[in-house]
Amino acid sequence: MTNFSPKSWDQASKPHLFCPGCGHAIALKQLGYAIDELGIQKETALGIDIGCSLLAWNFFDVNTVQTHHGRTTPVMVGYKMAQPEKIVLAYMGDGGGYAIGLQSLIHAAFRNNPITVVLINNENYAMTGGQMSPTTETGIKTTTSPLGKDIKFGPGFKGPELLKNIASPKAFIARASVSNPIQLKDFLAKAIKNQSENSSFSFVEVLSICPTNWKTDVKQSFDKLKEMEKYYPLGEL
Amino acid sequence: MPKQFITGNEAAVLGAIDAGAEVMFGYPITPATEILQGWITKVELHSANAEENKKLQYLQTEDEIAAGFGVLGAVLGGNKAFTASAGPGHILLQDSLAMAENLRLPFVGIMMQRGGPSTGTVNFSQQEVNLAAFGGNGDGLRVVYSASSVAEMYGLTIEAFNTAWEYRFPTIVLGDGYLAKTRKTVELEKPKKNISSYPILEEKNRVIHLRNCYSNEEALGKILKKNINDWKKSAPQIIKSESYLADDAEILILAHGLVAAAAKEAIDKLRQEKIKIGLFRPITINPIDNAGLKKAALNANKIYIIESSLNQFSRIIKYELAGLENNFIEISKPAEGFTPEEIMKAIK
Amino acid sequence: MEEKIIKIILAGEGGQGIQTAAKVISAAAAEAGFEVSYIPSFGVEQRGSPSVAFITISPKEIHYPRFDNANITMILQQRAIAAVLKYIDAQTTVIFDSSTIQPTLFKNQAKKILGIPAMKLVSEGSLPKASNILMAGVLAQLLGLPDVSTWQVIVKTLGKKFKTEADKEKNRQIFLLGKKFKLEENSFSQPILIPQSGQIKIEGEGKRAIIIPERCKSCGLCIARCPAGALAFGQKLGLFSLPIPEVDLKKCTACDTCSRFCPDGAIKIKKIN
Repeated sequence: MTNFSPKSWDQASKPHLFCPGCGHAIALKQLGYAIDELGIQKETALGIDIGCSLLAWNFFDVNTVQTHHGRTTPVMVGYKMAQPEKIVLAYMGDGGGYAIGLQSLIHAAFRNNPITVVLINNENYAMTGGQMSPTTETGIKTTTSPLGKDIKFGPGFKGPELLKNIASPKAFIARASVSNPIQLKDFLAKAIKNQSENSSFSFVEVLSICPTNWKTDVKQSFDKLKEMEKYYPLGEL
Repeated sequence: MPKQFITGNEAAVLGAIDAGAEVMFGYPITPATEILQGWITKVELHSANAEENKKLQYLQTEDEIAAGFGVLGAVLGGNKAFTASAGPGHILLQDSLAMAENLRLPFVGIMMQRGGPSTGTVNFSQQEVNLAAFGGNGDGLRVVYSASSVAEMYGLTIEAFNTAWEYRFPTIVLGDGYLAKTRKTVELEKPKKNISSYPILEEKNRVIHLRNCYSNEEALGKILKKNINDWKKSAPQIIKSESYLADDAEILILAHGLVAAAAKEAIDKLRQEKIKIGLFRPITINPIDNAGLKKAALNANKIYIIESSLNQFSRIIKYELAGLENNFIEISKPAEGFTPEEIMKAIK
Repeated sequence: MEEKIIKIILAGEGGQGIQTAAKVISAAAAEAGFEVSYIPSFGVEQRGSPSVAFITISPKEIHYPRFDNANITMILQQRAIAAVLKYIDAQTTVIFDSSTIQPTLFKNQAKKILGIPAMKLVSEGSLPKASNILMAGVLAQLLGLPDVSTWQVIVKTLGKKFKTEADKEKNRQIFLLGKKFKLEENSFSQPILIPQSGQIKIEGEGKRAIIIPERCKSCGLCIARCPAGALAFGQKLGLFSLPIPEVDLKKCTACDTCSRFCPDGAIKIKKIN
């Protein structure tokens, strides 16, 4: 199975429970390859949030803890303090990271806590059925914005840009997309190295697709992703 | 240990240190703030040596939510970790306490009760019994100690760490604002031996996947059944209580924490007047010493339940001593303390 | 329709439209004047995990939405059987998709088992995702609900799901097919519409292409991202009994894009030699 999927994937939990065509799984694959290539499977500890990310609780052959919604960052900050030699990853969605968990995400960046946060941005709260999230762009219809997200709720939330403003200059902050898995893996590897080599904070937002809640077919999903990339620019910040 | 003149908060810090605590997460909140300050001062200014200084850590977090989850992260990593809070902070800690309850994590929290609900007062109450024992969205598998003296702030904190790591239930020491700030002469006894902590998110021969979310009722039910079984099995080892002149008591006072301490003084005075009165003081509110309660209540024809909350303690007592309601006299003063004189007056 | 309480369970793969079928049938029964209660099983919403619906249809007030034993249990996917076995007893009639399910696990504990090769029928009608409409038809048959008004309720309930009039009509035909279908009673269709186990390996043009059917969820990402247009849905079936891709090794350049985009690790194409 090794060349179909990363060595660090747990095969017993496959086929996994993410929807057909889910962007999470594309990201988790590249995360797995990054872990493989850096040879850190045994030292890695992964925290996952509530939301679709919770489906990754037994996804990797890596010690994993599912936390509460928006609380993955503070749990992994505490874990890293107790186990500073470990590679500590915190995996969450746009709700867990930019809404309920934003407070802790900002402060972890602010303190330059040496953890790596990976945030999957599919512009909605998917697990609960597709409500609007901070990153839902203006005019987009969701179950809680049936007429399209009104500007009074804020435009699309730019997380990496926010964090860049308050993080240490030593932090690594980037935005990737599942449309470009090679760049995604590169950013993930760089992010992890920023933890292990520079003892600093790292953050990668991953633009992702959600065909189930977007109600899009494959082509439409990638078209929407392309539009997202115009508003949310890719690259290292 | 030599005699000391310390506050309840300072005693808590000493207790944490002598229990082998390694890291504290906290957010300043009256009347618990000195615990955070005291720990940090110890780490930064009074470490015994460089090695100790390196080993002990702290984080003043962005809020109590982060503090509680920081404790869980550290505990997963094998550190003896704790937090201290009060009132509104204690409410925010319920999120992490619920996760600790589900995953059986040795969370240690020192809660110095203050008046509620809401911001209330920063001073005193016994209104956080429900929060400590039954807060969160579970069924209350948390060990709760109620301290009635500055010395107990030290001793019960140590016991809390050992209980938490031995039996793997989140463990809370309930104090209150008066205990926090009272400076008192005490003679503390160092613990003989402390249980060792160990990494929980790591095992030698297998990968650990921890979840607290299940897809169906039966799956969660199974986990809860096991946890409840463990709770029942462990309870006899955990329960703690004090019986003060209760053996021949015709009038029995049931109280906990500092209110029980006031009751002791009242009892001493009333005994001088030849009144056969005694106190049964649960030290663990959860699990509570049911057998001890029953034994103490056996010969009493009047039972006073005295607390600084509406009925958080008496509700527990009535459950444990069902059938004896006719003998109960409830004296409740939410958010206000009782002096020994007041208690004497109420009983006479 | 009989004037007694009927308890129905629908079970299938998450994403198969079980809840849609349950919604329309309960709406139709409500429209027909009955007291109706419908509750989905709604554990953490997973698409790779069984979806179950509990429906109660009664002439009088229904108090509680769930029950221990069903009168009718409809099973659309092999993997959903385990979730509903406990509801099947000597009073239960089980209707199952005989093109994907082997009835051995439940036939002895049920009162009666009836089959319909649902997946086969809808695939032949080129509406592979309409098995829930078909099953709604079967339920309408069993409950004696009228054709026209039931279909109208379905259209009203599903709203804008039908993109064109032609699409709507196709679905109506599927509904009627289910409504009129003579359910298999003694001899059942063979459950051949299931994924092949193991790997499908093809070699040629200096390349080796491997697909794992039991991992493929028929999402189509590999097909959409292939820069050479070398992938297309074929005849073989994957995890959800939907078609999986097949590779044209002449067009394929072994660029690894398909594998990179596959969320499930179901495909890998390598150059050999």
